[in-house]
Amino acid sequence: MIISTTWLAEYVRWDAPVDELVRRLLMSGLNHEATWQVGADTAIDIEVTSNRPDCLGHVGVAREVAVLFDRPLHIPAPRLVEAAVPASAAIAVEIVDPDVCPHYTARVIRGVRVGPSPAWLADRLRTIGIEPVNNVVDVTNYVMMECGQPLHAFDLAKLRGRRIVVRRACDGETFRAINHKEYSLTAGMAVIADAEGPVALAGVMGGAESEIATDTVDVLLESAQFAPLVVRAAARGLVLMSASSYRFERGPDPAAVEWASRRAAALIQELAGGEVLAGVVEAGTLAGGRATIDLRAARVEEVLGVPVSAGRQAEILTGLGFVKEAACSERCRWQAPSWRRDVTREIDLVEEIARIEGYDKVPEDRPIHAKPVEQSAREKTIRVAGEVLVAAGLCEAMTRSVVSEAFEATASPWTALPPRRVSPALVRGADRLRRTLLPSLLEACGHNRAVGAPHGDLFEVARAYLDRGGNAAGDSPLEEPLLVSLVTGGAYARAKGLAEGVIRRLGGVVVFRRGALDLFTPGRAAEIVLERAGEAPERVGVVGEVSDEVLARFGLEGPVSAAELRLDLLEISGSQPRKLVPPSEFPAVQRDLNLVVDQGMAWAELERAIRQAPGAARMLESLDLEQVWEDAERLGAGKKSLVVALRFRSQTGTISSDESKRLIDAIVASCGQACGAVLRG
Amino acid sequence: MATVSLESFREDVVRLRTEAVSALDSATDETLLERARVDFAGARSGRLKAIQKLLGGLDASDRPEAGRLFNEVKGAITAALDAAQGRLAGATAEAAAIDVTLPGEPFRLGHVHPITQTIRRVQEIMARLGFESVDGPEVEDQWHNFEALAIGAEHPARDPLDNFYLAVAKGADPLLLRSQTSTVQIRVMERRTPPLRIVSLGRVYRPDTADATHYPMFHQVEGLLVEPGATMADLKGVLRFLASSFLGGDVHVRFRPSFFPFTEPSVEFDMEWGGRWVEMGGAGMVDPAGLAAVGYDPADVTGVAFGLGVERIAARRYGVADIRDFYRNDVRFLEQF
Repeated sequence: MIISTTWLAEYVRWDAPVDELVRRLLMSGLNHEATWQVGADTAIDIEVTSNRPDCLGHVGVAREVAVLFDRPLHIPAPRLVEAAVPASAAIAVEIVDPDVCPHYTARVIRGVRVGPSPAWLADRLRTIGIEPVNNVVDVTNYVMMECGQPLHAFDLAKLRGRRIVVRRACDGETFRAINHKEYSLTAGMAVIADAEGPVALAGVMGGAESEIATDTVDVLLESAQFAPLVVRAAARGLVLMSASSYRFERGPDPAAVEWASRRAAALIQELAGGEVLAGVVEAGTLAGGRATIDLRAARVEEVLGVPVSAGRQAEILTGLGFVKEAACSERCRWQAPSWRRDVTREIDLVEEIARIEGYDKVPEDRPIHAKPVEQSAREKTIRVAGEVLVAAGLCEAMTRSVVSEAFEATASPWTALPPRRVSPALVRGADRLRRTLLPSLLEACGHNRAVGAPHGDLFEVARAYLDRGGNAAGDSPLEEPLLVSLVTGGAYARAKGLAEGVIRRLGGVVVFRRGALDLFTPGRAAEIVLERAGEAPERVGVVGEVSDEVLARFGLEGPVSAAELRLDLLEISGSQPRKLVPPSEFPAVQRDLNLVVDQGMAWAELERAIRQAPGAARMLESLDLEQVWEDAERLGAGKKSLVVALRFRSQTGTISSDESKRLIDAIVASCGQACGAVLRG
Repeated sequence: MATVSLESFREDVVRLRTEAVSALDSATDETLLERARVDFAGARSGRLKAIQKLLGGLDASDRPEAGRLFNEVKGAITAALDAAQGRLAGATAEAAAIDVTLPGEPFRLGHVHPITQTIRRVQEIMARLGFESVDGPEVEDQWHNFEALAIGAEHPARDPLDNFYLAVAKGADPLLLRSQTSTVQIRVMERRTPPLRIVSLGRVYRPDTADATHYPMFHQVEGLLVEPGATMADLKGVLRFLASSFLGGDVHVRFRPSFFPFTEPSVEFDMEWGGRWVEMGGAGMVDPAGLAAVGYDPADVTGVAFGLGVERIAARRYGVADIRDFYRNDVRFLEQF
C-alpha cells in the first residue's frame, strides 16, 4: 500500500518528520518498504498484513497515525445533493448467488461531463502509482484508496436491459476486461451481468464494453461486497490481480459500502457535474456484525509481562475506534468497529494495546531458568553417522526431497510401490517424493566431476517417503524412514567399509548378503541385514558398485560405489552409555594362516568357522584378511588361498606356545570341517 | 731415586697433547675418532694412561708440578674429544636433516553442511535453556498443517498454488508437504502436557520460484515454550539469549507487530547484527485457541513461540549471496565450512 503524505495530512496532522512517521508505523505493525518523492509529495510504501484490510486505505492509516501521535482524526462527511427521481427508476439489481455477493448497491449519476481530473486528484493518484484516466474513473480509484472499498463505474447506457445480475460465471463463458483482453471464465468465479451477459468480473475488473468513455453521459456506480474466496479464485485463475481483487480478498469494511458510494457520488457530482438519483438500488444485506469483547485489565500484563494502566488501555482502544459498552475497574466490555473484523477476542484487544503502547516497553532481561534436557536417540544417531563419514573424508550434501520421474524410475530399496506425486512441481519436472536418496547423490557427485571439484564423495541424511499402501500404521500419513546415503569413488569395498563404519559405531551387528538394485552392477551389490537377539533379521541397507549405465547417465567414471542405510532402524538404543572392557595387560600372540579353499567359498563362511572354533571366542582379539590369491599351478584349479592374520590375547595371563598351538589347530580343524579348508605350507 | 725427570715428563705430556688434539680435531668420521680416542684416552692402554703411570717415577718434589701438567693435558684432551664428538654428531644430524617446509602427509576430512552446522548451533543454544529438539513427519494432513494452527478452510495460505499437495484418491483426506515445522509442535503438544520447551526443526516446503533469496524447500527452526505465566517478556528474554549466543556479545532484540495465525499477539523479531537491525523471524504468544486445540487450558498456561528460516541466517552468517548454493553440493563450496 502506497501512501501519499499530502493526502494523509488531510485526515491527520502528525507534526513530525517523515522518518519518524515511518518509524512509528513500522513499530506498530505497518512495515516500511520504501519512501520516495513525487513532485512536492512524498510516497511511502508500507506492507499491510493480511489481517488489516482497514489499512489498505488512507483513512485507516490516518487512524493509526492519530492514535500513535495522539492527534485528532478528521474523516470527511460526504454531502450529496440528490434528485427526486429514485435510482430504481434507472436500474434493477438482482443477486442470483448470494454466496458470492452478500450485498450490492448501485447508484446512478446522470448527465456527467467526462473529462480530465483536477490537478489535486491526478497528483495524489500519481503519487501512489495510479495513472489518471478521467474524472469518473479517477474518483472510483481515489475513494478506494481513501477507505479501502473498491468501486466500479459503468456506462449506464451500455448496460443492456437496464439490469444488473450478480451470479456465478458459467463454465466457458467469455468476458473482455477493460485491459481489452479476452478471458474464459469458470463456475468458481462470479460476474456482474446485464440482461445479456457479463459486464464485469465481480470484484476483479470491469468490462471493456461498459467502461467509462469520453462520451459517457450516465454512470452506474457499483459499491458491493464480494466473497473473498470467489474473488481470489478469479484473480488467481485468470492471473488478473487488481487493487480491487487485492482488497476484496482481504475483506474490506462492510460498512464502507454505503460511505464509499456516497463519497464517490458526491465527488463525481463535484468534478463531473450531473445529477445523482435518489438513494441506491440495493440487493442483499450488509454483512458482518460487530464483536463484543470483554477485556480484563490485568490480562494485559499477564500476556505482555509489563503493566499498562486501565486508563491507557481505554485511550488506545477508543482511539482505534472501539466503543466501550460497559465498564468496571477490572473488566470492560468493548465493541469492535466494523473495519476491525480481525478483532474478536480478548487476546486480540491485548495485541492492539501492545502494538500501540510499543513492544520496546517489554523488558529483554527477564531471567529464564534453566531446565535439564536430553538428546534424543534419533539426534544422537544422526550425529554419530555424520561424524563417521566426515572423518572418512565425505562432505555432507543436501538435495531435494522431490525429484524428477527419471530419478524415480530407478527402484527404491525400500518399497515396490510407486512414488507419491505432488503438485505443483518443486522445481521444473520434479514432482515425485523420493523413495531413495541415491540418484540425488549420484547427480551431485556428477556435478562435482563436471565442475572439476577435488572430489565428489558425498553423504546425506534425509528421509524417504514411502506409501503405506493402505496400512495406516504410525502417526504420519506416509512412512518416512530416515536414511543416510553415501556415494564415493572406489569399488564395492570402499562403500562397504564406510557403511560398516557407520553401523559399527551405532552398535549394530549386520551380515551382508548378495543383493540386487538396478543402480548397481549385477553381482556387485549386497543387502545389509541387521541381526538382533530375539528379533527377526531386518534389511537395513544396500551397498554396491554403481553400474556403468548409471555412471554414464550422471556423467561419472567408475569405479563409484554407494550405500544407503536405514538410520531409523539402526537408531542407537536407550541412554545407557557403553561400559568399559579393560584392555588386557598381557602380551598378544600373532599368527598368519594360509588357508586354501574352493573358489566359490564366501569369506563370511570362513570367518564364521574361525570364530566358532573352540577357544576363539575368548582368545581371538582380531582377525584380518590379508591376501586372497589364485594360482591354478600352485593351488590347483578352482582353488584360492586366503592369508588370514590372527591375533590372540587373554584377559587372564600370557598365552603359552602350547595354548596358541591348540588354538591354531582348533581353528584349522574348524575351517576344514566347515569350509573344506586346507592349511598350506 | 727418580727414573723420570720432570723435563722429559714435560716434553712427553706436551707432545701427547699436541698429537692428541691434532688427531681428534682432524677425525672426519666416527671410525677415525674412535681410533684416536682409544689411542690417546683409552682406559686400559691409551697413551694418557701410560703417561699417568710415569708419575710414580718422578722425584717426590717434582710430583705436584707433574700432576698439574698431567691434569692440564688430560683436560685438554677430554675437551678436544668432546668437541670432536659434538662436531661429528652435528654432521650426522645435518646429513639426516630434511626440508621441514615439505608438505605434510595429506589426509582428507569431510565437512558438515553449513545448514546443518547452523541448525546445530541453534539447537545447542536452545538446549542450554532446556529446549528439547523434536522431529515429525514432512508429509502432513490438513489438521496439523492448518486447522490446529488456526488456518481455517478459507485462509489464503491453504491455496493449492501455495502448497505442495499430494495426489490422493478421490474422497481421501488431502495431504501436503508441511509448510512449517509448527506441525511438529502440535504433534508434541497432543502427546504431552505442559510445562513444555521444544524446538522443532527440519525441511519445509513452499512453492516459490528459486532465486538468490528463495528456494521452494528450506529449513526452519521453531521454538515453543508452554508454562504457567509465560509472557512476551519471556519470549524476548529467550530470543535475546539466542541472539547473543549465536552472534556473540550482548545483542539486542526488537519486536515489530505482525500477523501469524498461530500466535496472538504476533511479532517479527529483529536482531542487531553488524550495526543494523536484521529481520530474523516471526514470534508471539501462542494463540489461546491453539492451546485449546490440543487440549491445554489457556487459563492455566500460556505459550510463547518463535520461528526462523535457517537458510537466511546461514547465508548471512557465512556470506553466501545465493541460497541456491546450499543445494548445489559443490565440494569446493562445502569444503569451506
